[in-house]
Amino acid sequence: MAIPGAAVKPSWNPLRCGGTVLPTNLLLMAKLIALCLLLTNHVRQIPDPWLPFVPAFDWIGAPAAFQRVLQGVFVFSAIALLFNRWVRLWCLLLGGSILIGVISSKAYYGNNKTFCGLILFLTGLYEPGQEPWLLRIQFAIVYFGAGLNKLLDADWQSGVFMEHWATARLKNEVYMTIASWLPAMLLAKLMSWGTIVTELGMSAAFLVRKLFPLGILASLLFQSLLMLVSGTTFNMFFYATQAALLMFVDWPRSRWLVIYDGDCGFCNRAKGWIERIDLEGLLDWRTYQSGAGREHGIGDAEASERLYLIAGSRIYSGFRAFRTMLLFNPVTYFAMAILIAAPPGDAALYRRIVVAGLLAFFLPPLAPVGEWVYRMIARNRHKLSANSACATTVER
Amino acid sequence: MRHVRTILGGSLLLFQLVMIGYARFVPARYFCWAPYDIQTQYKLDVSVGGRTLTAAEIRKRYRRPKQGWDNRSIQHVMDIIQQYEETYGRNEQAQVLMKYRINGKEEQEWQYPAQP
Repeated sequence: MAIPGAAVKPSWNPLRCGGTVLPTNLLLMAKLIALCLLLTNHVRQIPDPWLPFVPAFDWIGAPAAFQRVLQGVFVFSAIALLFNRWVRLWCLLLGGSILIGVISSKAYYGNNKTFCGLILFLTGLYEPGQEPWLLRIQFAIVYFGAGLNKLLDADWQSGVFMEHWATARLKNEVYMTIASWLPAMLLAKLMSWGTIVTELGMSAAFLVRKLFPLGILASLLFQSLLMLVSGTTFNMFFYATQAALLMFVDWPRSRWLVIYDGDCGFCNRAKGWIERIDLEGLLDWRTYQSGAGREHGIGDAEASERLYLIAGSRIYSGFRAFRTMLLFNPVTYFAMAILIAAPPGDAALYRRIVVAGLLAFFLPPLAPVGEWVYRMIARNRHKLSANSACATTVER
Repeated sequence: MRHVRTILGGSLLLFQLVMIGYARFVPARYFCWAPYDIQTQYKLDVSVGGRTLTAAEIRKRYRRPKQGWDNRSIQHVMDIIQQYEETYGRNEQAQVLMKYRINGKEEQEWQYPAQP
């Protein structure tokens, strides 16, 4: 069954991402980058022409006016993109304003800005109905360039860079403690080569469809680990690389069935909460009492104990079903972006805690803990609700 | 229109691949994806017309601090100083001395204008 939001005209609601010429995952990615650019007040960094890569920028007679225009285009297109109209145009303008900033000023030039600019600009060039290969190759090139540069650098091969960075620059006590237990430079070498192999491996993984999940997981962990160790988001780099992973995700094109206990008041309340943030109408809720579960091989006894999610050919239950519902909801990503990017730049400890918490919640290794919590709640769900609702009154 | 998009996007990607190759032959690392690959500690001393510039004057002139860390190729700092002095500061005859350490190794010096 098609998703209702995908067939109708686009919504003005900035939290929605369906119904435009861009696939939901690409628009969500672009919006998240735009949102983080706005939240981090990046507009202050948009430069006037100063020591440009292209000399023609020095011929502009009014550098201050040029900067104002560039800032205006940047802010207007970032805000306009959120409202789901002419989305490719706003991506082109937002990405273009950043790229013009990059080539017009050596003071502004930076890998993180170039990356943001290119991702947004290439999203603007997206051809409806096609795979976003330009974007995917762009992502692979970033890791290929980064990995190759390190591979051919003597200080990376020997671990000198890593040792110096961790001890003299970051003064990272965890690193220094572990390094002191090991032979000299061993930890530095391991981390250096680990980085090189990971970056080159990811560049290959992002070119092979079968390896996308592995690439996503590796990049997510790699960038998060960098952020947790260094405490910095490297300006926009952390936000943009994490958001850009959405380009590799197969976003659902048809509705997902959720089987739940209609005789449980707590379950009905939880359904109401999730429905309120399911703005794209992805989830089709059915009670197990209606027999919907049996059509998919889920017996009433099983369905009475835990929630089931039928996501295409995959079936999730319990905590994993709940987590999957959140992972495929744009609102989750907007909430995460605001949580991480909104506080001021020096809130390193806060950011580390939030990122570590989100990783623990969403990554598979800690799913058993989530399952345990889910089972506890499921077992006591009738006690958690003052008045249970009857299935027949809540059936959709 | 589709071809225009593909050519434009493809050109951007091709440019980066060329720059990754080009970076193997030059010390600068522009548009070749080398973020945080080098840690350089540097200190600038600048005099214009015989007067030594303060830290604030250096920051205003080169849009970077008099001393600190740089996490890209130090050639980028050299390029900024050289390009500034050969364009906007052409008539001021500035003398620049930069002392720097790459990845904590021995101190090196760079001067503008280059000494014979």
